[in-house]
Amino acid sequence: MLLLVISMLTFGAMNVLGDPLFNILGVTASATDEDSLQKIEAAKEEYNLDDPLPVRYAIWLGGFVQGDFGVQFSEDGQPPVRNLIVERLPRTLSLVILAQLMALAISLPWALWSASRADSKADKVSTVGAFLTISIPNFALAVILSYILSIKLGWFPLVYEADAPFPSRLHAMILPAFTLALPAAAVYQRLLRTDLITTLQEDFILTARAKGVSRRSILFKHALRPSLFSFVTVFGITTGALIGGALVVESIFLIPGLGRAIVEAVLREDFPVVLAIVMIVAAIFVLLNLVIDLIYSLIDPRVRR
Amino acid sequence: MTDLSTHMEHGQANLLADLGQMPAQDVTQKGRRLGIGFWLAIAFMVVIVLVAVLAPWLPLKDPEKSYVIAGERPPYSPSWQFWFGTDQLSRDMFSRTIWGARISLTVGFSAIAFGMLVGGSCGMIAGYFRGRFNAIISFVFVVLLSFPALVLAILITSLLDRSLFTISFTIGILSVAPVGMVSRATTISFADREFVLAARSLGARHPRIILRELLPNVVIPMSALALLGVAVAIVAEGGLAFLGLSVQQGITWGKLIQNGAGRSDLEDAPWIAFSPILVLFLTVLSLNFAGDRLRSHFDVKETAL
Amino acid sequence: MTPSADSAAFGRVNEHLGVSRTHPDEPLLVLDDLKTHFRTDRGLVRAVDGVSLSLRRGESLGVVGESGSGKTVLSRSIMGLLPSTAVTSGSVKFAGQEILGLPDKQMRHLWGAEMSMVFQNPLNSLNPLMKIGKQITEPLKLHLDMDRKNARATAAQLLRDVRIPEAERRLDQYPHELSGGMRQRVMIAIALACGPTILFADEPTTALDVTVQAQILELISEQRRDRNMSVILVTHDLGVVAGHTDQTAVMYGGKLVERAPTKTLFANMKMPYTKALMQSIPKLSDPSHTRLSSIPGRPPDLVHPPAGCRFAPRCAYARDKCHVEEPPLVQADQPDHVYACWFPVGSPEFQERDADLARVGGIPVGIEGAS
Repeated sequence: MLLLVISMLTFGAMNVLGDPLFNILGVTASATDEDSLQKIEAAKEEYNLDDPLPVRYAIWLGGFVQGDFGVQFSEDGQPPVRNLIVERLPRTLSLVILAQLMALAISLPWALWSASRADSKADKVSTVGAFLTISIPNFALAVILSYILSIKLGWFPLVYEADAPFPSRLHAMILPAFTLALPAAAVYQRLLRTDLITTLQEDFILTARAKGVSRRSILFKHALRPSLFSFVTVFGITTGALIGGALVVESIFLIPGLGRAIVEAVLREDFPVVLAIVMIVAAIFVLLNLVIDLIYSLIDPRVRR
Repeated sequence: MTDLSTHMEHGQANLLADLGQMPAQDVTQKGRRLGIGFWLAIAFMVVIVLVAVLAPWLPLKDPEKSYVIAGERPPYSPSWQFWFGTDQLSRDMFSRTIWGARISLTVGFSAIAFGMLVGGSCGMIAGYFRGRFNAIISFVFVVLLSFPALVLAILITSLLDRSLFTISFTIGILSVAPVGMVSRATTISFADREFVLAARSLGARHPRIILRELLPNVVIPMSALALLGVAVAIVAEGGLAFLGLSVQQGITWGKLIQNGAGRSDLEDAPWIAFSPILVLFLTVLSLNFAGDRLRSHFDVKETAL
Repeated sequence: MTPSADSAAFGRVNEHLGVSRTHPDEPLLVLDDLKTHFRTDRGLVRAVDGVSLSLRRGESLGVVGESGSGKTVLSRSIMGLLPSTAVTSGSVKFAGQEILGLPDKQMRHLWGAEMSMVFQNPLNSLNPLMKIGKQITEPLKLHLDMDRKNARATAAQLLRDVRIPEAERRLDQYPHELSGGMRQRVMIAIALACGPTILFADEPTTALDVTVQAQILELISEQRRDRNMSVILVTHDLGVVAGHTDQTAVMYGGKLVERAPTKTLFANMKMPYTKALMQSIPKLSDPSHTRLSSIPGRPPDLVHPPAGCRFAPRCAYARDKCHVEEPPLVQADQPDHVYACWFPVGSPEFQERDADLARVGGIPVGIEGAS
C-alpha cells in the first residue's frame, strides 16, 4: 500500500514538475522543423504522452510489476533501466551490508566492555568518544578518513575500480564501508550500553549471580539477549539510513552504485531511472521492517505466539 | 573492583528502596543538571551565530577576493596573515568559513523552524484529536519517512530551482515527519493528564486547550529536539552541497569542504577542507550536546510527574 | 541423581576454601556482630547493625520483620551478594571458615553450590528468554561439571522433586508459560540443584496465592528434611515461620530484637514488638469484619536512628528509659532465648501499661504517641 503511494507521488512529481518530452528527446523537443516534429510524434506515440496522467501511471505500473522498468532516457541508445539496476544494486547492497557487519563487529564488544565498566573513567572516555563520532557528518568523516587512512597511511585506495578483480575490489570497499560503519557503530554502542546497564539491574541477573555464574557468562548469556530489543529496531532503521549515506560515500569514493545512479538520474531528469530506484529502495525499506519483526520473534519467545 | 558489582550498585538502589530508605532512583543518565558543558555549547552557538550575522561588518578579508602573495603560488598554508590558510584561488579560508556559516546556519535554523511549525502543529493536532486526524496525519508521516531522505531532497531540488529558500524548504519538509512524530507522541502523553481534563471540564474549547495547556508543555521537550534537528539540518545541507546540489549562489560549509576534498588538494593543502570541517564539527557537536543535555534534563521532570 | 547433602558436601566447602575439616555437629553458620552499611548521599544507611546468631546443620531459622527491618539485607550479607558500595564488618563463619568480605571470585564457588537463594518474585527472578531446563542445568554444569545428558536428567529429577508435573516437558518451556507457583518451584529446584548445605529463602511466598503459599512452604520444609539442609527463611509474616522453622529471629531497624526457638517464641514472647507482630496476624477465630490491626507508624530512619530502643517511638509500652538507652540483648528463661527490651512482656511495668490501655479502651498494641 505504502509502495503504491510512494510510486504515485514520485511519478506525479516527475511528470508534473519536469517535462518528459524534453527528457526523451533532449533539445529536439523544442525544435519545430519537419524532422523533429516527426520524432516528437513518434515519441508521443510510444510513450503515450498524450494520455492523461493516471493512464500513463497505470501503464507504467503494469510494466513495473512485470519487471519492465522502462528505458533510460538520457543514455545513448536508451538501454533498459533494468540493466542499470542489476549492475549497480549489488554494489550498493554489498557496501551497506559490509558497513553493517563492521558496525556490529565494532559496537557489540565495545558495548559489552563499557557496560561492564559503567561509570568508570575508561567508560566515561569511551562515552565521550562515541558522542564525538556521532557528531561528525558522514561526508566530513569520509574526507577525514580518506586523509588519514588513504593519503597519509596509504592503507586503502582512494577510488573504487569497478573492473578490478574481486579481492582488490573488496579491499577498496573497506574504507567506504568503514566511513558508514563508524557513526552507526557509535549509535549502536550507546544504545546497547544503556540497555545492558538497565538489564543488569534486573532480578534475574541477581539470580544468576547467586548461582555462581561468572561475570563474563552473565554478560553474554544472561544480559545480552534481553537488551537487544531496541537495538534490533535501530539496526533496521539504520540500514535504511545507511542506504542514504551510501549516496554520499559512493560519490566520494567513486563507486558506481545505485546511489550515484540516482543522483545522476535526477540531475538529468531521467525519470524512469529515478522511479525505479525510488521504488526499489522503498521496497527494501518495507522488507527491512518485516525482517525486523521476524528477528524480534526469534529473540523473544514471548512474542512468538 | 571493575567487575559487575560496580553497577550492582544500581542494585543498591533497589535494596535501599526495599528498606524504604530512598526513593528508587534511576541511576543512569537522567536527572543531571544542565551543567557547564551545556552552557559552553550554548555560548559557542551564540558566538558563531553572532559572528555569522555580523560578518559584513567585521574586519574580515573579502571572501571572494584572491590575495596573491607575490612569488608564491597558492594555496597558502595557515599563517598569521591567513588564519585558516587560503584555498586554491588564494581566497582567505577563515573569512570564507565565516561567510559560509551565514548560509549553512540560515538553512539549518529556517528548515527546522519550518519543520517545527508544520510538523509540530500537525503532530499536536494528530495527538490531540486522534481518530481520523491521527490516522491520516500518521500515514503521511510514515510515507515521508519511508523515502530515503537524501533521495527526496535531491528529487525536490532537481525539480525546482536551487535557491536558499528552496533548499531550506526541502530540508524543512524532510524534518516535518520526525518532528511530527515526536510532537504527536508528546501531545498524546500530555493529553491524558489531569490538567487537560480539568480545563475541558471547565468548558474550555479545543483551540484554547491546545494553545494554553498543551503547547507550553510540548514546547519543552521539543526544544531539545529542535537543537538536535538544527544539527541534522546543517549536516543535510552540507551533504547536498557536497554532492553539488545545494544553493547555487553563495558559500556554504558543504561547498567549502567539497572544494577541498579532491585528492591532490587533500595531499598538498588539507586545510582547505579541514578548516570548514572543524567549524562544522564544532557547531554540530555543540548543538548535539546541548540538545542531548536538554533532553535528559527534561526527562526527569516528566517521570517525576 | 540428586547429590544428597552430607559430610561430602562439607568436604566440598573445604576443598575450595582450603580449610580443615569441621565436625558436622558444630554450628554450620555463625554470625558475630554482623553489620552492613551503605554509603549514600544522605549518609551511612545502617541496614544491618550488629546481628549475632548461629545455625546448625539441618536447622531452619526464620528471620521476621517489617519492610525496612533489614532482613533482606541480612540474608544477602551472609551470602555476600551485596553491591560494592556496601561496607560490612563483624564476622560470618560458614563451616568454620570466615567468608565475610571475601572477593566475588572466591564466593562464586559457594554461590549455587553450597549456599543458594530463592527470591521473592519468581516472574522477575527467572530469565524470561532462557528455557527452564537451561536455567537449571547451568549451575549443574558449572559447579558439578556434569555433561549435558546427565545434567538434563538431573534437572528433570529436580523438577519432580519439587512436584512439578510433566517434568520433561517443562524443561523446554519458558518461564512465562508457567504459573506463579510453578515458577517458584522452579526457583527452588535451581537453588537445590547442587545440593547446597544452606538455602536462603527471601519472602518466597509473598508474591503467591495464599493456597500456593502453604504448598511452597511445605515443599521447602520437606526438602530440608530430605537433604539435611539448613534453611534461612526471611519473611514479614510471623504466620509463615510458625510451622516451618526451628528458630526465629525478629529484626527491627537493623537490629536483632528477639531470638528464640520458634515454639518458645510463640509461647513466651518477650518483646512488645513481637507481640504486636503476632497481633497483626488475622485469625480465623476472629469474628467477620474484625478490623485488621497493624502497627501504626513507620520504620525508623536507618541513617539517623533514634536514640535508645529503636522501636520506642511506636511502642505502646515505652517509658522514658526506652527513649534514652538502648536495651541490650539479655537472656530469657531458656538459654537460647534472647531479647532486647527494658520492659518486656510479663514484666510489672508491662502489665501496668496493659491495664491502662484496657481501661482506655484501646487495643493493647502499639499506639503511637502513648508514653
